[in-house]
Amino acid sequence: MNEYDIVIVGAGPGGSTAAKEAAEKGLKTIFFERGRKPGEKNSSGCGLGPRMWRDFDVMKEIGPEVCPSIREGRAARNYFVNEEGEVTGYIMTTPTASVTYEPAKSWITLNCYRSDFDPWLSQYAVDAGAELKTSTLVTGLIREDGKVVGVIDEKGEKYRGFVIGADGAVSMVAQQAGLRKRWKQEEVTIVPQYDFECSPSKIDDIMGDEALAVWWSAVFPAAYQVFFNGGFHIGLGNWMTWWDKNPMYYLNRVISLKYFKRLVRILDAKPREFQAHLLPWQGKPYNTHTDNVILVGDAGGFPCPLEAEGIYPAMITARAAIETAADALSEGDTSKEFLMLYDKKWKATSVGEEFTAGPELASIWRALPFSPHKTMSWFIPMFMEIIGGIIDWSEPHAVRIRQIARRLKTYLPQAVPFIMKEVIPLLTTVLGEDKMELLTDPEKLLTEMPEIQEALTKAFMDAPEEE
Amino acid sequence: MKIDHKKLITRVPGTGDFIKIDNEKCTSCDRCLIICVMNLWKKRDGTIYIVDDYASQCLECGACYQVCESNAIEFRFPAGGTGIVYEQG
Ligand SMILES: Cc1cc2nc3c(=O)[nH]c(=O)nc-3n(C[C@H](O)[C@H](O)[C@H](O)COP(=O)(O)OP(=O)(O)OC[C@H]3O[C@@H](n4cnc5c(N)ncnc54)[C@H](O)[C@@H]3O)c2cc1C
Ligand code: SF4
Ligand code: SF4
Repeated sequence: MNEYDIVIVGAGPGGSTAAKEAAEKGLKTIFFERGRKPGEKNSSGCGLGPRMWRDFDVMKEIGPEVCPSIREGRAARNYFVNEEGEVTGYIMTTPTASVTYEPAKSWITLNCYRSDFDPWLSQYAVDAGAELKTSTLVTGLIREDGKVVGVIDEKGEKYRGFVIGADGAVSMVAQQAGLRKRWKQEEVTIVPQYDFECSPSKIDDIMGDEALAVWWSAVFPAAYQVFFNGGFHIGLGNWMTWWDKNPMYYLNRVISLKYFKRLVRILDAKPREFQAHLLPWQGKPYNTHTDNVILVGDAGGFPCPLEAEGIYPAMITARAAIETAADALSEGDTSKEFLMLYDKKWKATSVGEEFTAGPELASIWRALPFSPHKTMSWFIPMFMEIIGGIIDWSEPHAVRIRQIARRLKTYLPQAVPFIMKEVIPLLTTVLGEDKMELLTDPEKLLTEMPEIQEALTKAFMDAPEEE
Repeated sequence: MKIDHKKLITRVPGTGDFIKIDNEKCTSCDRCLIICVMNLWKKRDGTIYIVDDYASQCLECGACYQVCESNAIEFRFPAGGTGIVYEQG
């Protein structure tokens, strides 16, 4: 038996951060990666969020010299695709005046391939003194007196120590520790994506400072596009409960959009790689630890409940896990009870704050961009009516406003229940009960819907009929 | 645009077998058939099976294992250093 203080399964962002921070604390640490090098099994957007720069000093050292695929972008584009598969408009946004710190003021995301990022990050752990074993599949947990005391690899080699499960969405550690056999179907998404090859200068010339785009649509669940130095991803996902057809049916609808094909043509882009990966996406992480075991990152279900940013949460939970493990080891108590400290710690971070409105955030995402037929089919024309309706010279503007108002009225039967069911609970959680006293009972409001609808119509929309 | 996505993958051979189905437990719910983006699950005469050369195509995403509520699909990752490689993941 090989003896360690900390044994980490996985060398993704969670595993490498855990390994680095454990080694820096002087703990004898080993981490395992089943790929020949970290990153070759992973697929992501992959946009790195600015909070990583605020909380992790290593991020200041990332650049094109060490991660050649890096591309930073100031702008995010939102396309709106209607039921006919036409792009009816788009909105481009950049960091707004309320953003408080750098680099978040300068760019939305910094994008780089995981095949660059993961090996780069793992090197910091190795430099700090952690031992990395690549091309090694960890196949099981070993137990003594019923308690997990370490792991075993595919060659039968055993490693004793405190176990960190950083092994991603399909986590052997979670399974064997008895924390989860599989996700509930509404807690995890499948995300297929294409990588396209494209010259960096064409991307810069044509896309400008666009970092990423979201394709909001009535014919497929929201798709995303992320630009790198020399390529881009286009992908989409949805919860396991949603698919009525193969995910490829929907992804191929994206790449068959006339607008998308034109984009590919002018970028002179070529499909280069196809990938698919599970992505946990849920409102409330639970069963995050047991005796002598802690789950971090995707293994623990930590991606952001609204947009599933998962790299930063993996790194933050890894840090919380190592602080907890270090305390547990020095106290000589690695019991499940003691490790409740882990939940306390991650809940006190920026990731914990994200989950305070977790169920509401996950729910609104499920109900809006991930419900193309049910919601986006009316949301997109309604939204475009508001955005696009004004810039129109077909009638005198007063007439246009009345036309738009009348049109908007037809969306109320769908929009009002949506606001009651999804938006109000979210606002209540975020703003607090007292501010929302008028709107705190969606159930009650729903039953009063016809009156509310009428009141709204009277107040804002009633315009004389126009022929 | 039509892309043959099956041609856009790289795999290191030597995985050995890593997915198994237990037809005793399978309820023929067809969820694995719908979810597998590589279309590796098939049905013949009402019996679900995975194609013979799945090990040279599978992306190791685990979606089939995840959707099978009957515990009929046994899945583990292939041997270290083998299987799917994403160069632009
Ligand atoms: C398509 C897609 C797009 C995404 N886009 C973004 C984005 O733009 N920004 C963002 O922040 N997040 C994004 N995410 C989420 C992000 O990828 C994950 O949340 C993040 O990778 C989680 O990190 P992790 O370290 O917990 O797990 P992983 O990155 O999954 O790492 C787990 C590692 O463990 C290894 N491993 C697993 N089992 C074993 C074993 N038994 N033995 C040895 N090694 C093992 C794996 O090979 C892997 O390297 C995206 C996810 C997907 C699927
Ligand atoms: S998901 Fe499971 S039960 Fe359903 S058809 Fe596939 S193997 Fe059978
Ligand atoms: S792991 Fe993914 S690609 Fe492989 S058979 Fe299962 S669903 Fe298909």
